[in-house]
Amino acid sequence: MADTGFVQKEKLNDFLNELSKDAVVYAPCLEGDTVIFKAFDSGTTLCLDRPANNPPKLVVFPQSETLFSFKYKKDAEDPRKMSVELEANTDFPRAIIFGARPCDAKGFRIYDSVYIDTNTPDPYYKGRREKTMIATLCCSAPSPGCFCVAVGGGPAHREGSDVLITQLEKGYFIEPVTEKGRAILNVPRIEDGEQYAEEAHKRQLESHDLVRNPFAEDGQPKISRALFDLDEFWEHVVSKCLSCGACTYLCPTCYCFNITDEQALNNGERIRSWDGCMFSHFTLEGSGHNPRPTKFKRFKNRVGHKFLYYPEKYNGVIACCGCGRCIRHCPVSVDISEIVSYLRGPRFEFTNEPPESMGTDTNSQEQKQ
Amino acid sequence: MSDVAARELRIVGFLCNWCSYGGADTAGVSRFKQPTDLRIIRVPCSGRVDPLFIVKALLNGADGVLVSGCHPRDCHYTDGNFYARRRLEMLKRLLPFLGIDERRFHYTWISASEGGKWQQTVTDFTKRVHELGPLHAKKEATP
Amino acid sequence: MISQRLREAIAGVFSEVDVALAYQQGFDKLHATPCFMTMPEEINKLIWNPLCVHNLTSYLPSLKKKKVAVVVKGCDSRTIVQFMQEGLINRENVVIIGIPCNGVISVNKVLHETNHEPIEDITFGENGEITVKTLKGEKTLLLSDVCPDKCKTCQYPTPIVYDRLVGDPITSDKSPDSVYADIKEFENKTLEERLQYWEQEFDRCIRCYACRNACPMCICQDSCIAETRDPHWISQRATLSEKFMFHMIHALHLAGRCVECGECERACPMGIPVNKLKRKINLDMKELFGYEPGIDPEDKPPLYTFKVDEVTIKEHKI
Repeated sequence: MADTGFVQKEKLNDFLNELSKDAVVYAPCLEGDTVIFKAFDSGTTLCLDRPANNPPKLVVFPQSETLFSFKYKKDAEDPRKMSVELEANTDFPRAIIFGARPCDAKGFRIYDSVYIDTNTPDPYYKGRREKTMIATLCCSAPSPGCFCVAVGGGPAHREGSDVLITQLEKGYFIEPVTEKGRAILNVPRIEDGEQYAEEAHKRQLESHDLVRNPFAEDGQPKISRALFDLDEFWEHVVSKCLSCGACTYLCPTCYCFNITDEQALNNGERIRSWDGCMFSHFTLEGSGHNPRPTKFKRFKNRVGHKFLYYPEKYNGVIACCGCGRCIRHCPVSVDISEIVSYLRGPRFEFTNEPPESMGTDTNSQEQKQ
Repeated sequence: MSDVAARELRIVGFLCNWCSYGGADTAGVSRFKQPTDLRIIRVPCSGRVDPLFIVKALLNGADGVLVSGCHPRDCHYTDGNFYARRRLEMLKRLLPFLGIDERRFHYTWISASEGGKWQQTVTDFTKRVHELGPLHAKKEATP
Repeated sequence: MISQRLREAIAGVFSEVDVALAYQQGFDKLHATPCFMTMPEEINKLIWNPLCVHNLTSYLPSLKKKKVAVVVKGCDSRTIVQFMQEGLINRENVVIIGIPCNGVISVNKVLHETNHEPIEDITFGENGEITVKTLKGEKTLLLSDVCPDKCKTCQYPTPIVYDRLVGDPITSDKSPDSVYADIKEFENKTLEERLQYWEQEFDRCIRCYACRNACPMCICQDSCIAETRDPHWISQRATLSEKFMFHMIHALHLAGRCVECGECERACPMGIPVNKLKRKINLDMKELFGYEPGIDPEDKPPLYTFKVDEVTIKEHKI
């Protein structure tokens, strides 16, 4: 069997139809002017020209999923007694993510440490992850906001991918990265890729230097703890934040969730749905106390989680893949890469002397958050 | 039984406590014959009816919604139904914009003594919703 | 240059306020971003050009107890009027620096024109021409082609309310009939087409609440019924009916209050035309009650009031 494959440009749709025969294929599709990951079928328009607005995380970590359903039943003998029946399903259909970007694929590795490589793996995440093959498309040029090279990734980075795809003049060069990915070479309509390998590997290196690196010259962000713990710094850099969840919901590495029971009469389901640290409800406690009452504290957590807490826990791995979505799609252009680059210094240039008007009266500022 | 159940549609009625609920009661006490598709929710005043109640009902399985309050100038709380009138009219115009036939929603004023008018309204509205058919037919066919 | 005059105007009021809200360059050449200035030396960062799309007045209710100077375009000024109607700001705490505006850009439309190539540089000419430079070359666009829809029919290019005006007042040359032309056109579709349209659009919603949080008139914020468990209006399920319901909550809570700044639509990361519903309601409010939000601070939103005899509302027959 060949080691690599190739699909002609005009045969890509046929190829995806072949793939769809025994798995659900999720691909970036055009809707209006928006590119979104969704199940590919004959009615969808594929768009591989630019990264999708949303990452493919929904395939493995859906926006909402049923953990189990429950039914309360009355005891026929003793009507005061109720029994409850639970039903859970962790058998998921096979899925293929086609056209993820290297940053998206790397994002799944961040999830794996949390959901799989622990003493208590998450059966839902694990079940979907094991059934999912990730076919990643190398980036030929950076999009606005991209900074993957600054966080250990790159336009042809292989981590997290099962298959790496390189777009060439005439079609797509297909290269398995993992054993799981090798299956793609058995799909009909794939040619031997041997003759294109050289061109593809050259192409893969081309755009690496075009991606900006907003952090240190050595390519790794360094964070000054003193500055990180300075409230005034956060008040200054995130005053414009609207406290919405666009950044977290579009983030390929944000994995926080909420669990709720949605019940009608005696039947219901326990739902797991996306949640984000930018919402005040996220940390609101039953007593009414909120340990992160202000958007400054919430944003600090978002940056801290990605660049400090997660690396401390998981061998220095930064929980940000540099896809730039939170920057591109932020309604007010809050730039996390800029904020992290400020954090390198022991002191932030113009918060040497925090102005008096800030840092006081945060309650009134919080009315809208 | 099953034949009748299949044909029955889901209509939600929001009736104000002081007039229309009384009107429906009058119709019942007078043994006026009425269709059985309507499920009544008693509210203190038609001014209590948030247009979102109606939207929520229509999005979650109702095929029609009927709101009825006291006649204008007759509100138990003086002006609740005046506010309701503006809100409900706004919704009546918005529904077709969403692609929901505005005939699935009706609002009217019925007093506690108007048992006959109540019977007529329910009968006519139910008939109209039946003519329009189920709102969620497509979705129910493919669960 | 207007930018320079704007800097001077802000410098002139700087000593009176705690914070000044204006625009500075964002993360790339195509984006401006709001800036909160508290120190005089920051004034130099300030920019003014068609990239300044944000409605800065959105921040005012959260800064109610502070003295704030804010840069305001014609459309943004309607928000302030609406805030005054509803008592959401203390007018004496706000210094409004108005700028007559010929239109701003829509970032999405510019990106569409340039095939989503990263923008290397962008310059604005005197007469609304925009030169965009990408790696693929240079392209000249017209502001009138790449502005948001609200600018195409703008009736209030000059702020309705201001304390200082930077630049000369502009009178709108756009027909008032054009404002809701798109809404009326949409109404020509059949019911099935309309329902299908909304279902397809709302299905993309990820419930990030960017539309809500960017909306200046969405004042419930953390108490929004889209998130509360009691009352339990909508569940956390990511189904179409729940997403649809969320957008209905947003639209109906803005009935007769929406100033059509379009921030909801601009903020949406999934490209959902969320402002359309609110504009449809506004059209009805205009037809029924002759009311337009954000024009007269003494007015009352039409659903907060009533007339005993409503001549425009006819009784419905079955």
